[in-house]
Parts: sequence; C-alpha cells; structure tokens
Amino acid sequence: MSSQGSTRTATSDGELIAGAAAGDERAMAALYDRYGAVLYAVAYRIVGQRADAEEVVVDAFAQAWRDAPRFEAARGSVAGWLTMIGRSRALDLVRARARRDRITATAAADRPEAPLAMGAWRGDPAGAVDHAERRVRVREALDTLSPPQRQAIELAYFEGLSQSEIAERLQEPLGTIKTRVRLGMQKLRECLRPFYFEPGS
Amino acid sequence: MSAAEHDSVRDLAAAYALGALSPEESREFEAYLASSPEAQREVAEYRDVAALLALAGPEAAPSEGLRDRVLGGVSRQKTVSIPRRNNPMAWGALAASLLAVVGLGLTLMSTRRQLADVRGRLDSTAQQLVLTDSMLVARDSTLFRIFEPGVELFQLTASGDPDPNIQLFWDRNLNRAILHGSRIRQLDPGKAYQLWFIKDGTPLPSVTFKPEPTGHVKVEPIEVPSGTGISAAAVTIEPEAGSKQPTMPIVMVGSLKKS
Repeated sequence: MSSQGSTRTATSDGELIAGAAAGDERAMAALYDRYGAVLYAVAYRIVGQRADAEEVVVDAFAQAWRDAPRFEAARGSVAGWLTMIGRSRALDLVRARARRDRITATAAADRPEAPLAMGAWRGDPAGAVDHAERRVRVREALDTLSPPQRQAIELAYFEGLSQSEIAERLQEPLGTIKTRVRLGMQKLRECLRPFYFEPGS
Repeated sequence: MSAAEHDSVRDLAAAYALGALSPEESREFEAYLASSPEAQREVAEYRDVAALLALAGPEAAPSEGLRDRVLGGVSRQKTVSIPRRNNPMAWGALAASLLAVVGLGLTLMSTRRQLADVRGRLDSTAQQLVLTDSMLVARDSTLFRIFEPGVELFQLTASGDPDPNIQLFWDRNLNRAILHGSRIRQLDPGKAYQLWFIKDGTPLPSVTFKPEPTGHVKVEPIEVPSGTGISAAAVTIEPEAGSKQPTMPIVMVGSLKKS
C-alpha cells in the first residue's frame, strides 16, 4: 500500500468536514475519495442514468461544501449526512423530470443505462474494497427482511415516498406500513451495526 | 404527552432517518427530537443504517472525470454561501421571494438616503450619481409593477440543481411579465438562455437573455401570449439569436397554473 493510502486513515470524517467548513478544498477532495462512489451508487439507483447520476453527485458535493459549517455531529455521521444529501438531490431530479414530462407532454425517453462496473472507480482503492464488502453485507441484511418489509423500505429510500404514500400505493393500512418500516429498520440495524461507515468517529 | 403517544413518536426515529415521514410529520418529530437526547442517538444510528442502503442498488461507479467536476463545482462557489431552500417548496419559496422583494425595497430606501448624503457632499461624483439614480428609478418602477394588483409570481427551477432560480411576475391584465433570476450559470460565447411559454402543449418562443457576471438577470417587459391555455414556462439554452423551436433540452421549468 502506498504511503498515501496509510495517511488517509489518519484523518477522521469529522475532521474533514471541519476542514471543509473552514474552506479547505482538499478536505472536500478527501471526502469525495471516500464517499463519491457511495453517493454515485445511491444517485444512480434513484435516477437510473449515468449522466444524471453524475450531475447529482456534483450538486450534492457542492451543497455539502456550502452546508459543512452547519454539520452537527450529534445528529449523525458524516457518511449518513452526505448520503442523505445525495439521495435528496437525486429525488429532486426525478421529481423535476416527472414535472417536466407532465408539462411538455413528452414521454419519458430516459431509459436506464447500464452502470459502469465498480472496477472503474479510481477514487480510493482501499475505500472501494470496503464498499464492496459492505455492499455484500447490505444485500445479506436486506435478504433477512420479509419481502413486504424490504419493499416498504426501498419505496421510502429510493422513491422518496412517505409512509402514507406507501400505504396508498400498496393499498394497505398505514399502521401496517409503519410497522414494516420500523421492524425492517430494526432488523437492518442488528445486521449492519458492525459495518457502518467510519463508526463513532 | 401520554405514554402511548410517547411510544408512537419514538417509533418514528427509524422512519425519520429513512426519509419516510411527510414534511409535517418530520417537523413534529424534530420538535420532539430537540428535547430527547435518546431519540437523537437513535436517529443518528438509523442514519448510519440508511447510509448503507446507498449500496443496495446495482454495482456502479462514476467516470474518472467526475472527481474533477465535483471539485470544480466546489471551487466555483467558494465565495458564496447561500441558505438552503426548504424542500416543501411552494410556501417557502413564495415567502422567500416576497422577502427578497421587500428586501429590495428596504435596500432601495437605505440606498436612497445614502445617495442624498453623498450628493450633498461630493459634486465631483455627480455624473456617477445620475447613473445610480436612474438605476434606482428603474428598480423602483420594477417594484411598483411587481406590487401591482393582479400580478402573480411563478417559480422556475432546474432539475437536480438547487441553485438557479427564476421568478416570473406575470400581470395577466396586461399580458406582460417580468423575469428575475439569480444564481444563473454563465454560458459559452454565442449561447443565450431562451424563455418559452408552453401554450396548449406547444412551446412558443419568448425573449433570450444572459446572466450578469453576478449570476443575476432581469428582463422586462416580456410579452406573454394572450388567451388561455398557457400552462408553463421553460428555459432552454439556444444560439444567441434565439430559436423558433427549442433545439436544446429544458434547463428550467415551472408551472404557470393558478394555484
């Protein structure tokens, strides 16, 4: 491993956010190397297009740069904060796209494209390995959920639906959906606790 | 709060971290969250769980050029710090626009006072003052037109990009509109933004415009096609001379239906 790779672990996510808040662009570069692939993954899953997903990642990091001074560690990890920004921007794009298609009455010609394989990621090789490992764990954890629990969680996270909207979409009582989300998230927490991005930094 | 209610609120931590609460539910939960360190810890952990869900999709990696684009995007806005827009947009955006208009008015008033002071003291800058004054008069007339009864405000937004913002003040009585934009990206030479009115599903060409170096833009007056059937306004990037039909994808769009 190069010396660059070993110095990487010396700086915590929290220190990088503090650096970004103080105007240090290198801190943003380091955060991108750690989480750029994760943000791209969630953006791609939501928008289904490579170019749009990249646009989302650019916007998300620009927002993170602006909002870094307001980051509060007590409210969650840097990784959780960054991925939520990426998810929100991706959902914004999908909603804007739907609005545009409604307004101009053009059919959505946007077909999902095949993503580039993970191997193309050059940001941080050590990080890519971690992510590959985590990806397996996340799949395993999702497989422990009942299909309805998994469906509810995926509709919420990837389609941005509220529990009420999920209940409406699936024609199920709201209470049932709330229970599925709660129990499903509890199960995921049990399975994934050892694999959080930079836990307790 | 009863024990049962307390439980039900606490149970929302997972849904909140997942982003599965409606805006109203989120606000209620946040009020509770502020008073409960235990719930804060719970939410923080569920956010870690939610973050991992990012990896639940198909295996995907961005292109190699993305790093430079991300860092370019960061550098470009190094000097500006912009408050975030709230997501449940309609009311927030409307309130923000009204505040901006009121702010413009206040700025105008205080600028006027300063202007009067300076005028008394410095004859040598008279020429520049005339210039400033005419700008203020122009702004003033814009303000009056915006405040005219019957003028409605519409927002145009960009897909996936929170920054550029265009407000269209539409006076239905006169079929006139004023366009005011901020944080609009600069374009390559030879290109301009073009406004379109969507009438009965067909885009009708309107004015072209370019942002000032500050990213601001103001265009007035704009003729709005008369009659009913105007459902939306959109902005595309076109050759400087403008186009009869949109040749490029829509970069910003907004509904013009009465809310």
